[in-house]
Amino acid sequence: MRVGWLLPVLLLVATAGLAGERVVFPPVPRDAPVSLPRDHGAHPEYGLEWWYVTGWLETKGGPVGFQITFFRRRMSFDDGNPSRFAPRQLILAHAALADPAKGRLDHAQRLAREGFGLAEAATGDTKLTIDDWQLVRQRDGRFTTHFGGADFTLDLTLTPTQPPLLQGDRGYSRKGPGEGEASAYFSMPHLSAEGRLKRGNDVETVKGTAWLDREWSSSLLNPRSQGWDWAGLNMDDGSAVTVFRVRDRQGRPMWAGGSVRAADGSLVVLRPEDVNFETRRLWRSPRSGASYPVETTIVVATPAGKKRYVVQPLMDDQELDIVREGGPVYWEGAVRVPGGRGYLELVGYGDKIGL
Amino acid sequence: MADPRLLPVARRWLLWSEWRAHPGRVVAALLAIALGVALGFAVHLINASALGEFDKAVRSVGGAADLKVQAKNAFGFDETLYPRVARVHGVSVSPVVTVAATLDGTTRATLEGIDMFRVAGMGQGDVEGGSTGLGGFIEGTAIYLSAPVLAASGRKVGESTTIVANGRTFRAVVAGTLPAAAGSRLAVMDIAAVQWRFGMLGRLQRLDIRVDQGGDVATTRRAIAAILPPDAIVVDATSEAAQNDSLSAAYRVNLDMLALVALLTGGFLVYSAQSLSVARRSAQFALLRVLGMEARKLRGQVLTEAILLGVVGAGAGIGLGLALASLALRLLGGDLGGGYFSGGTPQLVFAPWAACIFGSLGVAAAVLGSMVPALAASRAAPGIAIKNPGDMVDPRVRVRPWVAVALLAGAACAAALPAVRGLALFGYVSMALLLASGVALMPWLARVLVAPLRGVSPKAVPFRLAIARLWGAPSQASVALAGILAATALTVAMAVMVSSFRESVDRWLGDVLRADIYLQVNDTTSGGFDAATQARLRAVPGVAWMGVLKETPLRFDERRPSVALLARSLDGPGAQHSLLGPAAPVPSNDVPAWVSEPASRVYGWKPGDRLVLPLPGAPTVVVAGVWRDYARQHGAIVVDERSYARWTGDSRRTGVSILVAPGVDTGQVAAGLRAAVGNGGPAFTISRPQEIRKKALAAFDRSFLITYLLEGIAVCVGLAGVAATVGAQVLARIREFGMLRHVGATRGELARMLVTEGALLGGVGGVAGVALGLAMSQVLIHVVNPQSFHWTMDTVLPWPFLCGVVAALIAATAGVALIVGRSVLTVDAVRAVREDW
Amino acid sequence: MLNVKGLVKTVPGGRTLFAGIDLALAPGEFVAIMGESGAGKSTLLNLIAGLDAPDAGSVRIADIDIAGLDDDGRTRLRRDRIGFVFQAFHVLPHLDLAHNVALPLALQGREAEESLHAANAMLDAVGLGGRGEAYPRELSGGELQRVAVARALVHRPGLILADEPTGNLDPDTAAHTLGLFVNQVRDAGAAVLLVTHSAVAAAAADRTLVLSPAGLVARG
Repeated sequence: MRVGWLLPVLLLVATAGLAGERVVFPPVPRDAPVSLPRDHGAHPEYGLEWWYVTGWLETKGGPVGFQITFFRRRMSFDDGNPSRFAPRQLILAHAALADPAKGRLDHAQRLAREGFGLAEAATGDTKLTIDDWQLVRQRDGRFTTHFGGADFTLDLTLTPTQPPLLQGDRGYSRKGPGEGEASAYFSMPHLSAEGRLKRGNDVETVKGTAWLDREWSSSLLNPRSQGWDWAGLNMDDGSAVTVFRVRDRQGRPMWAGGSVRAADGSLVVLRPEDVNFETRRLWRSPRSGASYPVETTIVVATPAGKKRYVVQPLMDDQELDIVREGGPVYWEGAVRVPGGRGYLELVGYGDKIGL
Repeated sequence: MADPRLLPVARRWLLWSEWRAHPGRVVAALLAIALGVALGFAVHLINASALGEFDKAVRSVGGAADLKVQAKNAFGFDETLYPRVARVHGVSVSPVVTVAATLDGTTRATLEGIDMFRVAGMGQGDVEGGSTGLGGFIEGTAIYLSAPVLAASGRKVGESTTIVANGRTFRAVVAGTLPAAAGSRLAVMDIAAVQWRFGMLGRLQRLDIRVDQGGDVATTRRAIAAILPPDAIVVDATSEAAQNDSLSAAYRVNLDMLALVALLTGGFLVYSAQSLSVARRSAQFALLRVLGMEARKLRGQVLTEAILLGVVGAGAGIGLGLALASLALRLLGGDLGGGYFSGGTPQLVFAPWAACIFGSLGVAAAVLGSMVPALAASRAAPGIAIKNPGDMVDPRVRVRPWVAVALLAGAACAAALPAVRGLALFGYVSMALLLASGVALMPWLARVLVAPLRGVSPKAVPFRLAIARLWGAPSQASVALAGILAATALTVAMAVMVSSFRESVDRWLGDVLRADIYLQVNDTTSGGFDAATQARLRAVPGVAWMGVLKETPLRFDERRPSVALLARSLDGPGAQHSLLGPAAPVPSNDVPAWVSEPASRVYGWKPGDRLVLPLPGAPTVVVAGVWRDYARQHGAIVVDERSYARWTGDSRRTGVSILVAPGVDTGQVAAGLRAAVGNGGPAFTISRPQEIRKKALAAFDRSFLITYLLEGIAVCVGLAGVAATVGAQVLARIREFGMLRHVGATRGELARMLVTEGALLGGVGGVAGVALGLAMSQVLIHVVNPQSFHWTMDTVLPWPFLCGVVAALIAATAGVALIVGRSVLTVDAVRAVREDW
Repeated sequence: MLNVKGLVKTVPGGRTLFAGIDLALAPGEFVAIMGESGAGKSTLLNLIAGLDAPDAGSVRIADIDIAGLDDDGRTRLRRDRIGFVFQAFHVLPHLDLAHNVALPLALQGREAEESLHAANAMLDAVGLGGRGEAYPRELSGGELQRVAVARALVHRPGLILADEPTGNLDPDTAAHTLGLFVNQVRDAGAAVLLVTHSAVAAAAADRTLVLSPAGLVARG
């Protein structure tokens, strides 16, 4: 097994460790866990946290989808090591570009332990760094980001056009039937993106729309779960749709949720019974053999009636190919719906993933 | 009219007939070339293979980094250098902590603490082992071992092992192996764990740096060098190579020179055999000239012979050399006993270029050996030669020594020249010139040495005949003499140098080992005895005085190996250093330091110089004197251990010397000391001065083993050459002997004449050889050794050996003359007078 | 064929061997030179052959002044025009008889087959026919001298120089050798210069000269 960066390392680390040195991760407080602008920053005491940006960009070759993410992972052991190298927090950064002309994803990743300012997830405001990759929230509220890899480089400025969207109950987002299966979750939909995209030797100015998901928690999923599906849609009329569901091993939904916020700001929080995913077409990955429901109809029940979102992928193969590094198999892709665009995430259609 | 083919008819006939008639001589000449080439080539191959192995081992430890920032001392540099270097444009940096460690008390390894995410980012870090191992690695509870360490420790993956490093102990689980480091003794743990568990918080020993694709290594290196603190240096592949090279350069050059000596001796054997073969056929050559063979065609004939012999012999020599090298590598290791490379049989690396060069040298020796006498033969007036085969020189003609004198002058000049890039090249040139001058001087010397013997009682006819022969035919005799001279001179030179060296080392050891008992940790890089252990040792009953020593490496120059810092107790009776030259006064505010002779020569430090030591805090010292040190070739600096403790706060000591109170049993005290250290401390050795002395001299002898061997071979080959020469001469004079028998000399008288001739040859050659050898030994002692190894020694002459050499030589040459002459004293001699040839 | 004028030679030590020798030989002429030991007979032959240089005087062979030739030129002249017979046979011990006799031809660059064929024919002529593959050590002194004679004649030289060719032979063998020597010489039409002690050998010549410090004088 190659020493790479990857998720399973983090996950396995979670299960290792001597009993006496295990840390206790605090649960997300039930009562209004999200308070901005403070919670733009990191929450080091929690087990897992991410800053997840997805979006669409218009390029001269047509539209492309992009995803850039910073993860923060707190190690589950603490032996009191005073060394500045002591791995208390791991920072992981990942970027992917979906170009239909190419037909499959380009991606890059980095992994480092937090320390010396070289890799950092700052508290107080969004400031994430691994060497020269960064995601920073400026004083005027805009986010700037730089991700450079072998295949592409992204330099973007993301400007919020709407107020932050607190998911669940004022940010307390339940993820399962059990007590404590929840996270603190807020999103920033309809971010106006502009900047430069460099592919090979070609640099061009790009413009588009993005979505930032902010989530942190200590325990997330029910042990019986096999995976989850998530979609975040920026609708043309200014509304923002968030849906997710957690599946068990048989593929049946164990939990679901989401929200629909209209352009005027009125928010509908979805209950598990309000969300339904109907598979129209499966795509089978030639690499992993997993079958993803890339064409889905998401049916959402709101007080105003049932809304159907017929999801079409920008391209079929948006599977994240990190099998060589021993990573999990999942599908993360740019999708269209009539009247809007966004991203769809399909996890757990290969091996079981445990969070 | 003339034949256009490569080898005209007449020459083909002559070539074949000669070889078919005397196959034994041809085989002997072939063997001589083959042996000379084989010896030289074998030594060269061993050198090249050993170096290749050494290189590989070093490289696998360091990985494939483009640049490395290294600490100048064992304490490392401040870890805040790491982010500063990481922010330099266009680099990926991996921080490393290294410390010498012992696993389970017995297995030595280098423990590296790495950040696996940074290492992976540089494209390295393959490990074998389960994924659970990686979890334990991050937590600092698991360790990965390279194959040699795993094998030596006897542990299996999954078992736990106790690691002792820098005086701390920790247990970790063996999680897997390191396939990329299969050649070295490496153990790897997480960097945070190594810093914490082994007391190295806040410091790093190394930064491995990879320059991004498209970046310029040289520019990046300059950018990094500009931000380094005084206790770190940046090295790249060439400076590392230079350092590896200098570790054993002088030793290897010496070996190469020895190989050339072997080649020369073989070449000389060929030369003497060929020149006598030509001389023997001088009448035949004269006949050919009379019959109408042009002079240059005659020379061409001899040259063709020589080239054919040379090519076949050299080819055989290359094959033989390969076999010899492979055998030697298996039996003796890559350093031929020199102790530079530890463990393992290096792989034999065939060097085609070297093979060509040594082969050409062999051919050249054969050609030279034939050409000089062939030129003489072709120039001689054929009319005279055909009637008087034998010496062309008129006994009345004076033999002039001017060429020899010029060569001697050249040798003296060369000896005065300085070293070239750390190698004593001019020293070797001087020795070669001395040898050449000795050979050129032989005819004149033969006359000079024999002259007083001419006025001897007329009754001793055989004796007079022998002297007359030597006097009258010095050029023929001098070929034999030259062989004896060369072999003897080389043997004597080596023997004197080695005996002087050994004696100097012995005396130095006596100077240095003044205490009664010595305790030394086995691995000085591991830190040493802690303060508590030292206190216990001091308190052992019977200890009258205790001195301590801390040995730690300091890096002054990235192209040179580290200098050993010896912080020791300078008070008390057991703390002497044998100073060379006057001591310089040191101002009372300054800290004095004493540099060893090699250090002084390599770095140019003289008494009175100020020196900044690359320790934490960059302390300054003043050089108070230079002392003789044969133990550390790369230099050493002695300071007071209290100063060292002040600078570094390090209270661990690697060595302890004890003076036993009068009347107390040393063995009892030794037992008490061993008990005082107990089981928890580092592995150590207790020795008495006699044991240390014995071990040191044994190491000395081992490292000169190959020298003795080559010397012995040179002597044998030289003697073989002498035997061939003397034998051929005797056979050539068969008519002479026949005539003498006719005239009335008895067999006994002839035998006495032969023995006397042989003994005279041996005596003259032996005495001259000893004298020349003494001169060459002085060059070795005062030029080659100081320039190569940076130490001086006093000359000690092994008189019994020298006398023995001359006696053995006389006995050998006389014996050879007699043995070969026995065939001559038979009926054949009488009959030969009637025959033509 | 041979024309010597005013030849002067002194030896190291200062003694003058001869001062002003004149000698002329026409093709087909057989001349014997006698003299005291040490008179310089062998030296005279060496001078004529170009193996030594005179102090004064000239030597012309077939109208070529040998003083005008360099060492290689003189060598070639010897090879092509002169045949030698020595007192000591000087037969190469490691070559068989045929190869020994063929040496002069081989030195001229002729093909091996051609040379050996001519050599065997010459061995026939001197009475050693069919023994071309024997080695010198198998032969007696007289036979070896005949081999030497064969070698001297095989390349049909214009001038033959013989230095005591019968000195080492018993009277019968000497006479026999001399006879065939003379026959062969006459048939080939060469000029012969024979240096000898023996009056018997000299008698075979057309005329006899005596070499003394005074010069070369005809013998009565």
